[in-house]
Amino acid sequence: MKKLIITNNPAVKEKFKNVFFIDGSPQDILTKVRDLVHQGHGLISHPLSASLRMMFSPYRTVVLSTKKEQIDFFSAEIIEDSIIKYKNHMNYRKIDNVHSEDYQVIDILLLEAALNEDTGSW
Amino acid sequence: MEGLSENKLVWRNKWGVDILKLEIGRIYIKDIQLGNETTVKNGILTVDKEGLITKLKEDERIKDVKIDVARPGEKVRIIPVKDVIEPRVKVSGGVNGFPGVTAKQAQCGDGVTHVLYGAAVVTVGDIVGFQEGVIDMWGEGARWTPFSKTFNLTVDINVVEGLTPHVHEETVRVAGLRAAEFVGTAGKDIKPDEVLAYEMGSIFEESAKYPNLPKVIYAEMMITQGLLHDTYIYGVNAQNILPALLHVNEELDGAVVSGNCVAACDKITTYQHQNNSVINDLYAQHGKEINFLGCIMVPEHTTLGGKLRASEYTLKLAKMLGADAVVISEEGYGNPDSDLLMICKKCEKAGIKTVLITDECAGRDGMSQPLADTAQEAVAVVSGGNVSHVVTLPPADKVIGNPEAIAVLAGGWKGALLEDGTLMCELNAVIGSTSEIGFHNVTCRLY
Repeated sequence: MKKLIITNNPAVKEKFKNVFFIDGSPQDILTKVRDLVHQGHGLISHPLSASLRMMFSPYRTVVLSTKKEQIDFFSAEIIEDSIIKYKNHMNYRKIDNVHSEDYQVIDILLLEAALNEDTGSW
Repeated sequence: MEGLSENKLVWRNKWGVDILKLEIGRIYIKDIQLGNETTVKNGILTVDKEGLITKLKEDERIKDVKIDVARPGEKVRIIPVKDVIEPRVKVSGGVNGFPGVTAKQAQCGDGVTHVLYGAAVVTVGDIVGFQEGVIDMWGEGARWTPFSKTFNLTVDINVVEGLTPHVHEETVRVAGLRAAEFVGTAGKDIKPDEVLAYEMGSIFEESAKYPNLPKVIYAEMMITQGLLHDTYIYGVNAQNILPALLHVNEELDGAVVSGNCVAACDKITTYQHQNNSVINDLYAQHGKEINFLGCIMVPEHTTLGGKLRASEYTLKLAKMLGADAVVISEEGYGNPDSDLLMICKKCEKAGIKTVLITDECAGRDGMSQPLADTAQEAVAVVSGGNVSHVVTLPPADKVIGNPEAIAVLAGGWKGALLEDGTLMCELNAVIGSTSEIGFHNVTCRLY
């Protein structure tokens, strides 16, 4: 199954195919993901990571499926909730640019784990 | 219970089937000293410092090890903490250590285990620069972490150059476990101060014993998403498993190990797995108010497909076991919130009642909407605390680990690191402060 990777991580752009690179913030990534979901792409990976610290990462990578005929409402609900949650946090905190190199590495490793996890083509 | 079989130390029931029977003997530890031998005398744990360093350096990936002690009340800060482990020794049954990780495969949850109760091994070491996780042994910071009350043997690991991040993480993780194993042996021949017995027959036997009690199962979610976000069961990376059923004794006896070091406040350290409060509390009610069936270990996947699979599989296991209710605890924050609600919704729709344990991000003042994901089915939710609550930590007399990591805690907002060294940070950075399995200091009060 073809996948579309939305990222602002230059290391991901370098390493993978089917990458939609955005020279912007994690918030820009989430907004773009929302737009694409509304156009019929489904979420393969969850738009948020599993810990608060990763919320402060300057990089965000999300995997989408190729465009379908119908909107996947489950994906739409999840991306909308994720944007609310992300904004909630970034009202208080700033992006941690000091460790951007490390965040870049972890972002790519978590992406690889997600791609390995997705074995099916549902 | 019919008694011990002739040749091996295994309890058998009347059908001749092995029953897991665990005895945890607590040896109360009142202090840790560094010395030339590893012993417990009158509650004083002495650790052979050089012996431990030599042992850990058998792993050629380790360049340097620093051993230190942090005691409750001392003006000491430990940072960045990777894991906390309770030192233990297997006296009979199973094997010593963590099966599948530091020891050969064996059944956990059976036999006799001695615990150096009140002592902890704390592994310290940067794997990535943004790692947080602080333990303050005194003052304001100590109020928020359960590990300010333990006598902590800190193991600061420096690895050789050129290791990949995965190998670096594994090196530090395993070193902590091996250190706990090394120290734990001191308790082997010591008479425990307190003995806890954990005994549970098969689900059918227990259900026959307590036909009128509601059958409750525990679904324990684990972060399993890749480097710094992993959990291991018998050494198996749980990222690759379907939800797995564990006997209630296994996790309490070393079957589950943390490989996760970014979610300081709500990650489940190995110590917390060994002392899982949900399991202990459900055990205490077994045969009284509930019939405690077992634990389903639920991986938290990154993909939506994985989340759907894990939540459906959890429901199926709960149904197969005839559960009337499920207690679900989360680990981490962010995408696992979706898993939590998926399991909740599916179980409630199938007529299985749920209780959810999570933590919340309710803003500095605690007044913001705490959870973005909501579900009308989630009617019984227990909060482990507000991760955004701000704490003020005065400067320490001594920092164990990397003092530069303190700036990481403060990072992200102005005025957090004051001129006199006082630090303001969110609970998010404090180890175990908002535990989602209830192993911590925060509680709820009704006004």
